[in-house]
Amino acid sequence: MKPKVLFGVIAIVAFTSLLFYNFGNSISTYVDFEQAKGKQGAHVVGVWDSSKEMGFSRETMQFSFYMEDQSGNIRKVIFPKAKPNNFEQADQLVVIGQMRGEVFYAQDMLMKCPSKYNDPNVLQMQATSASS
Amino acid sequence: MLPLLLSGLYDVFFGTVWFEQSGLVGKASLSVAFVVTLLTLFTAYMASRGLSDQNRHTDNESFWGRLTVFFWIAQGITLLLASLILLQLLKNHQFQYYYVWNHTSLDLLPKYLLSAFYGGQEGSFMLWILLSTLIGFGLIRWTRAPYRWPVMFVMAFTQIFLLSMILGWTIGDIHIGASPFRTILEEMPDAPFLQANPAFVPADGRGLNDLLKSPWMMIHPPLLFVGFSMMTVPFAFAIASLWTRTYHEWIRPALPWTLVANVMLLTAIFLGGYWAYETLSFGGYWAWDPVENASLVPWLIGTAGIHTMIIQTRSSRAHKASLFFAIFAYMLIVYETFLTRSGVLANASVHSFVDLGLYNQLLLFMLAITGIGIGFYLYRYRELPSPEKESSILSGEFLTFTGAVALLVMGLVIILGTSSPIIGRLFYPNPTPPEISFYNDWSTPIVLLMGILTVVGQMVFWKKHTWESLAGKLIWPLLLTSVATLSTILLGNVRDLYDMLIYFISWFVVFGNGAVLVSLLVKDPKLVGGTLTHVGFGVLLLGILASSKYNSFLVPPVVENFNNRVKAGEAFDEEGFPITNMIESFMLERNQPKLLNQKYLVTYEGYERIDEPRPGAQIYNIRFKSILSDEEFVLRPEVYPMNSTAGTGRVDWSVDPDIRTGWMSDIYLYVGGSALVEKQNERIAEGLSLTSDLGSNASAEAEDRRSEDSLATVVLRPNEPLVVQNYQFTFKEYAPAQQEEVPPGTQVGIRAVVDVLHQPTGKRYEVVPLFAVFIENGQSMTYSPPLRVEEWSLEVQFASVVPDENAIQLNVTGLKAFIEEDWIFVTAEKKPFVSVVWFGTFMLMAGFSVSTIRHWQRDRDANRMAKQEK
Repeated sequence: MKPKVLFGVIAIVAFTSLLFYNFGNSISTYVDFEQAKGKQGAHVVGVWDSSKEMGFSRETMQFSFYMEDQSGNIRKVIFPKAKPNNFEQADQLVVIGQMRGEVFYAQDMLMKCPSKYNDPNVLQMQATSASS
Repeated sequence: MLPLLLSGLYDVFFGTVWFEQSGLVGKASLSVAFVVTLLTLFTAYMASRGLSDQNRHTDNESFWGRLTVFFWIAQGITLLLASLILLQLLKNHQFQYYYVWNHTSLDLLPKYLLSAFYGGQEGSFMLWILLSTLIGFGLIRWTRAPYRWPVMFVMAFTQIFLLSMILGWTIGDIHIGASPFRTILEEMPDAPFLQANPAFVPADGRGLNDLLKSPWMMIHPPLLFVGFSMMTVPFAFAIASLWTRTYHEWIRPALPWTLVANVMLLTAIFLGGYWAYETLSFGGYWAWDPVENASLVPWLIGTAGIHTMIIQTRSSRAHKASLFFAIFAYMLIVYETFLTRSGVLANASVHSFVDLGLYNQLLLFMLAITGIGIGFYLYRYRELPSPEKESSILSGEFLTFTGAVALLVMGLVIILGTSSPIIGRLFYPNPTPPEISFYNDWSTPIVLLMGILTVVGQMVFWKKHTWESLAGKLIWPLLLTSVATLSTILLGNVRDLYDMLIYFISWFVVFGNGAVLVSLLVKDPKLVGGTLTHVGFGVLLLGILASSKYNSFLVPPVVENFNNRVKAGEAFDEEGFPITNMIESFMLERNQPKLLNQKYLVTYEGYERIDEPRPGAQIYNIRFKSILSDEEFVLRPEVYPMNSTAGTGRVDWSVDPDIRTGWMSDIYLYVGGSALVEKQNERIAEGLSLTSDLGSNASAEAEDRRSEDSLATVVLRPNEPLVVQNYQFTFKEYAPAQQEEVPPGTQVGIRAVVDVLHQPTGKRYEVVPLFAVFIENGQSMTYSPPLRVEEWSLEVQFASVVPDENAIQLNVTGLKAFIEEDWIFVTAEKKPFVSVVWFGTFMLMAGFSVSTIRHWQRDRDANRMAKQEK
């Protein structure tokens, strides 16, 4: 009985350590554009800077826009796909990729979609347009 | 007098007064339901306590029991009333209520009324609670002593927590729940425009999320919540078993419930996956998104529980495991509810979840369920029965049990990944979700182990085997597996050794379990449930592997070459960085076919505007024609404006892919952008509406473009067509010029017959411009009046003759004026064997259903026997 239990414990410990080791490697932390330099697969959180140009280039088949990260850095982001659905609606973007010079090349992009909840602005708009 | 009275009454019950007050009625109903459920908790406890050792096996019709039923009915009535009121408010567009304003709009189709009901957190809680109440009635009806009242006690316990989420009570500074009946004023009491005008009612609501306007989304959530609420039943039985210290008998009534809960969850997961595939442009049916994981993990644990319960019914083993899985499965449902609804996963998921202020309540719910479940389990642990002797490795019990453990481990791995925002803090302060490879790398070997276990386990489950006799049984399946794997490797050009192993084991699962299936069909078809499920599991594995490995983008040759360079690492951008992303989409101009992957000639044939049900939507017609066979079909993807947040001067577009489903492969396609969409964006920016006539300013636009056009010089030789922009020019021959057309003093006067073809439309005109050289005041002058093709705003001038080359020179203006700008961006994917994934899932569902019937009949027969004995 004893060696069996021992074997079981060792197996569980080994499995769990390996799992956690691998898990730790497959996650990372959110960074800003400056910290993303020299990193592969960096996750940068930010918001779309709508004051600058944005659009899809038919020649290079890339979508590009400017994003302001949480430290206030504004960088150009290039995304090699068509503009995703509800890009403009997102109140937060997460781009995953790497910096090349001062341009961020995203392989992937997540849109944190609007808190439809608790957003008085839209109602405010309706209220003012109704009263005018 | 009477009409006044009548209209007053009408107003009270159906009109404005009613709608003003019905929110209060709804809120009150929920409060009554909450109080009544608290009472149920008490009465069910008393009824359970009354079960002393003497009368625990007689059906209890005590005073407390009858009271419990009474309160449960009261709960059902109040909840039904609240739900009907919410439905009525939604239907009548009572936008003064926040939930109604937030999830519906005036143009919502009636069929999506139900989707709007559970489109938000509050409504979906309500649906969950309502279904749990219904299940409670089922439990009262079908459960026998000693479990009936303890089970109802646990049901009431979970109901209280769920109900608290939508109570909307405010006690001092503490808010309990978010009521679906709260008004906009209650939601934002501090908003200045509401303080100025508290009676403000918005004219229209924000509408249902467009992505939910899908028939799949009408049935997916209800099924999911049926699954969730039915998973409460095994939990309740497990607690009841610990309470009454009857550790064996609970399995029989609990097993059918667990099986049905599993089928429901599986179907809901399937529908969710199908919706993601068909409606979202994710490009796949599974993305390891936290929300998907949230429904998968309880299913895995529930399945593990089914395995141990079956061991227990068969040979009185695995009592501890069955209890644990029954408790753990429901704990996970609550845990995943916490993860997805508390806002913890806000950054990690593409789905939007916003904390409604329920974080603490959800946490409390989770702790309570964990406390009562695990706490009670540990409290009784020492007296739980253990098997007297261990089973041998080659026994159905041992192998099935190992399978259950494998399911548990897989569930734990997925929970770890999904919990990254919490557990990841061990590694990083602000952790990201894990890469997809984490899930794939870990689940694959576990699944392979499960695969082998299913075959060996099924073989020895139905018949005693020694290693030798088992090997004999496996000869045929192994032979077939080898043939199938070899053909797969050859046909599918499989190079990776690991892939070969996965194929081998998947085929082994299909053939090994298939062999058992055949022998069982001969013996007794009623027994095939489990085996059918396991064959389905193998088919599912094959489908998942094949559909993920051979996914390819359909692109024209230029893009294909580029992508090959990217793959080989030979493509660089202007700054010399290697390009790592392949191009997945391409442009199609109207009526200009492109060849995709050397197989399909694809033509964009134009679009249709449809204003129902989404005003301003477009459907694009894209014809696929195989050059290898006579296969031909049209895909019709849609692009539509999102109704939601865009303000004036802007519109947000969403896409709806179209899929050509085939046995071998699907073709999946969506339009990512088009000339029309760009035009509409410009029009919106100018303040025009999407649905107004598009053609009105077309000619003005053409004139605008003409002025930008520079002059083009075209040199033509006889009968050698030349293409410039969209036009093909062919100089056919010279024609003589009439005397009266040329100016006086003309020395040479000639016309050129030129055929002009507008390629996109295929229309052609023949122009015959004049060229003359004449002498005026001793100087040689040329005369060449431009000819105009009105339809195209095109002007052609015969500029000169180039004698030594036997050619003529034309000056053409307006080449760009008539480009009927119509192009689309297309992303097209070939997705092989998706149908196999669906087929495998259907087999799983069918297998579980067969098992459900069998175990339900067993329970019913046992009850009958017990009654007859009495």
